[in-house]
Amino acid sequence: MSGLSITGLHAAHGRTEILTGVELDVADGALACVLGPSGCGKSTLLRVIAGFHPATGGRVALGERLLDDGRQRLPAERRRIGYVPQDGALFPHLTVAGNIGFGLPRGRRSERVAELLALVGLDGLQGRHPHQLSGGQQQRVALARALATEPELLLLDEPFAALDAALRTELRAELAATLRRAGATAILVTHDQEEALSFADTIAVMRAGRIAQQASPQDLYHAPADAKVARLLGEANLVPAQLDGSKADTAFGSLPLTSDAGGARRGLVVLRPRQLRLTAEPAPGAVRALVRQSQFRGHEHRIELQPQGQDTLPTSLIAYADEPWPADEAFIRVHGQAHPVDEPGNPN
Amino acid sequence: MTGPARTLPAGRSPLLRWRAAGRLPVLPLLAFAVVAVVASPLVFVGVQAAQSGWDQAQRLLGRPLIATLLWNTATLAAAVTAATAVLGFGAAYLVERTDLPGRRWWTVALTLPLAVPEFVRGYSWVSLFSSVRGYWGAVLVMTCSLYPLVFLPVAATLRRADSAAEEVSRSLGRGPLATLWRVTLPLTRTALAGGALLVSLYLLGEYGAFAMLRFTTFATAIFTQYKLGFDAASAALLTLVLVALALLLVLLEAGTSRRGRVARRGTAGRRAAPVRLGLWRLPVLVALTALVGTALGVPLYALGYWLVRGSSTTLPSASVFSAALTTLGYAATAALVATAAAVPVALYAWRRATRLARTAERAAYLTRALPGIAVALSVVHFAIRYAQPMYQQPPLLVAGYVILFFPLALTAVRAALAQVPPGVEEVARSLGTRPLAVLLRVTLPLVLPGLGAAAAMVALTASTELTATLLLRPTGTQTLATQFWVYTSGLAYGAAAPYAALMVAMSVPPVLLLTRRTLGPNPRTETNR
Amino acid sequence: MLGSVRPVAALSLATVCVLALAACGSSGGGTSTDTSTAASSASTGQSLAGQTVTVYSGQHEQTVKALAADFEKRTGVKVELRSGDEAELANQILQEGKASPADVFYAENPPALTVLEEQGLLAPVQPDTLKSVPAEDSSPKGDWVGVSARTAAFLAAEGKGADTAPPASVRDLAKPEWKGRLGIAPSETDFAPIVTRMIKTDGADAARQWLLGLKANAKSYGSNEDLSAAINSGEVEGGVIDHYYFYRLRDEKTTAQTHSKLHYFAKSDPGALIDVSGAGALKSGKHQQAAQAFLGYLASAPAQTLIATSESYEYPLVAGVKAKAELPVLDTIGSVASVADLGDGKEALQLLQDTGLLA
Repeated sequence: MSGLSITGLHAAHGRTEILTGVELDVADGALACVLGPSGCGKSTLLRVIAGFHPATGGRVALGERLLDDGRQRLPAERRRIGYVPQDGALFPHLTVAGNIGFGLPRGRRSERVAELLALVGLDGLQGRHPHQLSGGQQQRVALARALATEPELLLLDEPFAALDAALRTELRAELAATLRRAGATAILVTHDQEEALSFADTIAVMRAGRIAQQASPQDLYHAPADAKVARLLGEANLVPAQLDGSKADTAFGSLPLTSDAGGARRGLVVLRPRQLRLTAEPAPGAVRALVRQSQFRGHEHRIELQPQGQDTLPTSLIAYADEPWPADEAFIRVHGQAHPVDEPGNPN
Repeated sequence: MTGPARTLPAGRSPLLRWRAAGRLPVLPLLAFAVVAVVASPLVFVGVQAAQSGWDQAQRLLGRPLIATLLWNTATLAAAVTAATAVLGFGAAYLVERTDLPGRRWWTVALTLPLAVPEFVRGYSWVSLFSSVRGYWGAVLVMTCSLYPLVFLPVAATLRRADSAAEEVSRSLGRGPLATLWRVTLPLTRTALAGGALLVSLYLLGEYGAFAMLRFTTFATAIFTQYKLGFDAASAALLTLVLVALALLLVLLEAGTSRRGRVARRGTAGRRAAPVRLGLWRLPVLVALTALVGTALGVPLYALGYWLVRGSSTTLPSASVFSAALTTLGYAATAALVATAAAVPVALYAWRRATRLARTAERAAYLTRALPGIAVALSVVHFAIRYAQPMYQQPPLLVAGYVILFFPLALTAVRAALAQVPPGVEEVARSLGTRPLAVLLRVTLPLVLPGLGAAAAMVALTASTELTATLLLRPTGTQTLATQFWVYTSGLAYGAAAPYAALMVAMSVPPVLLLTRRTLGPNPRTETNR
Repeated sequence: MLGSVRPVAALSLATVCVLALAACGSSGGGTSTDTSTAASSASTGQSLAGQTVTVYSGQHEQTVKALAADFEKRTGVKVELRSGDEAELANQILQEGKASPADVFYAENPPALTVLEEQGLLAPVQPDTLKSVPAEDSSPKGDWVGVSARTAAFLAAEGKGADTAPPASVRDLAKPEWKGRLGIAPSETDFAPIVTRMIKTDGADAARQWLLGLKANAKSYGSNEDLSAAINSGEVEGGVIDHYYFYRLRDEKTTAQTHSKLHYFAKSDPGALIDVSGAGALKSGKHQQAAQAFLGYLASAPAQTLIATSESYEYPLVAGVKAKAELPVLDTIGSVASVADLGDGKEALQLLQDTGLLA
């Protein structure tokens, strides 16, 4: 088996094109995340993979098996793909055990249900009905139900959207652990970058019906394909630069680049807030700035700065620091490599 | 402005809060008043039955024929209820969950049989097919006329229900049929049970159609007592048996819907891609055409035949139009009153899920199992004693219709209330809105489409009612149904046909309203393929 | 969009209701309040004009309407006509009791009247009225008067065995050779009198045997209309039915479409039963004078002529008024079963129930 592979996928609602050439690969056993703003088509992508929505072109294959190429479609029930929708969609007329055992042959049902109850930590609740469970418990049952049939691929459509923040974090970690333990291949759809970064082995950023970039969380964070991707994954300072080979000339002086930018041209570099270091004294390559705002965020301080005397810089720069900045003024230096991207507005 | 401050411990219903605030419990009082009026025929039947002696009871109920009649009623009710459930659910599934071509058209066509008056339907079958008689004839004709009572609520549930559960089932390896059986069907259990209850209760008390179809049921025995014995006491005694059967059915339905009270209603309302019929498309289309053809085509053909061939057919005179106007006036008034009356009862039971509230609500259904003549005589009995000035005045006939068709209105209002998110009334109260304003600004607007459906259903049924109309109308008042009766009892079918045709034609707008209001908007984007 | 239409629609609907009900109210409201003239009219018996008489009628509506209009024209008494099924109307009067708005009850069959008579709800009919029709056509107690007559006969599908060899006697219909060939409508009020007649002539046991034979032989229909249509279409070969159903069906279907024929039983046969319709005044009625005047009118030559010439095909009862020419002369058919013989029909009902012909 070689996981899920999608090439040139197109899909539509009526006459509206939703997916316009999606390329996506998820290796066997990987946890992938499709990240994108609402309306970008990520739910539709999931539903095409699951078999609930027809492709109009392209190819979706799981291992050697063709799932959909716009002409031939494998029915959803024969794909061996598990599905956990947003609010769980438990069968209201069945107990927890009935829900989990729904897809199992009668013979091995009780044994397997017990296994899964243990896996998701719901022992003893098998006799309950969905309306007697909390939101988190319902999602665990939905997960157990999807895992019960040992699907080759598990699809999760914003499964934590309806839960509160603390429970969401807890369940997310638990889900990742459970899936790794089960050795499952999974795709999670979300619009929450934190969820994506903490959950996945690989993240596909989706935008306007196609995948803008697919990479590991680290690569994606530090080496986004463009400014939009950079912003989607977290706060980013986009600084104009004169790119030349492995160097970028910026207001902060000459910075090493993460990758070769080729011949000399104008461009942007991404500087993550952690890369901006503040000092009280002027230094070579340091830019003077006024401190507009300083917020304590638990594990760090977020400091908003207004650069002075540099008309090439954006009016606002963000830095994260371990300590609060006591003064009204600071000098900004840049630490580490800068990542070159295209001007905002250019697709891909 | 003191609203939030007056809040009592959480979890108490708004009603309790209102009472604690020193208000009259208006809603329960209204609800019980309505139930008392609607259930008054049960009291009448009880009092009348008590006048019949024990000996007479033994003689009447001890006859071997009674067992046969009970058997006939039970088997007929079982078969028709099962058949309407299968047809109603099947049609709703096809229309709401598959890629059947022309779904909107089918939705209306499948509901239209409601527009055919019962006596027209019975007569048309008998006159066209001499073989449609007896048990199977009765099953056929009643199924054709009653399945929309199941179709509509089930289709409404399917349209509103999120399809995520069905998709999950597919992803778990269950095919379309297994998913239909194990997920979709349970999802509609409440609606299915509610519709089946209306069907089966109606069958208990129906007489006229069965007489035409030469099938005797328990209700036949009751009519014999009224018609040939002029013996209301003995008739009431027998009617008590029907009431007992009705009670059984109501309890059965209550049990079913309580277990299924958590039918998910998707707020997101994502629609599944329709199930592809594939090779089944042609057989399914043939089957639906056959269903609509038998349920609608046969009566329409018979009507057309009599219009063209009956020698007594005359050009519709002015009396047709005055009868139509009268019919319209009564049906519309009855619809408004019945719907208004159903609101407090349904609201009370919805707000307070207590045993008392539920019992009151259920009691209203029992009346539907009574033969029409028993209900009409009950209204005569009470009105002449306690409301003499109203006797044989228009309000009395309206009251008769309301009592007869209250369960139909109640069912529709209940279904609408079930869609209201719990807690909205509390939220509105917490914003400082007074109870009546909450009702007017929040609750009623939310259930308004359901009220439209309730009114349409009552108007539809009331406009074709005959027995109570003859007994309760103001002297000299003519409706389309009474005129139809006048002519058919003189064998002048041609002269009767324009009245029946007009009844059917007038029923079409309420049917359209009914489908629209019951089902709500169709969220599915219609694609041609 | 719908939202804005809704209030308008609701308003117009409400308007329609109010208008329609107002129309009904004005046409059907006047049942009382005009009793003042009754006293003054008592002496003369002629100044009834302006009064109202409420008639509950279980008879053929078109005929009764014509009668009411003629009566109004002659006397100035307004007739509030309430048509319905005679049994339902009788039940209604029983429920209404003394408060009944009815002044006159006009029924198709004696039992409905006899039931009210037994309950003491009917006032005696004026002797002059009773004298206009043969004594055996009215209540022996004099509480209601016979108005018109009809006769039971055997309707046979044309060309079938029942037509070429019709039964000589209604008794024969219980014989095995009729098995599967007959239809009956035992739940109709017309059928019980034949059973009553059988009980009187042959005794209860013979009547029971006859009913059991009939039950074995015949298909049971819900109404005379259904039965006559079934015979006409050849679904069954024949059945006993009041003569006028044949003529009314023929008028509707046209002669070309009529495939059935009437055969009358011999004069002495229990099947040659002549049944009457009748009318009585309610004791509780508020317009006794007008009610008696209406009864008197029904038994008068003009009314009887109207009945005889109407499309209801009934026989008049008053001497000198002739039935439609195509009808056989009543005297040649049989004799009126004495109303006293028919009674309230309870014995027949019980026998019908015991034999299972009726539920």
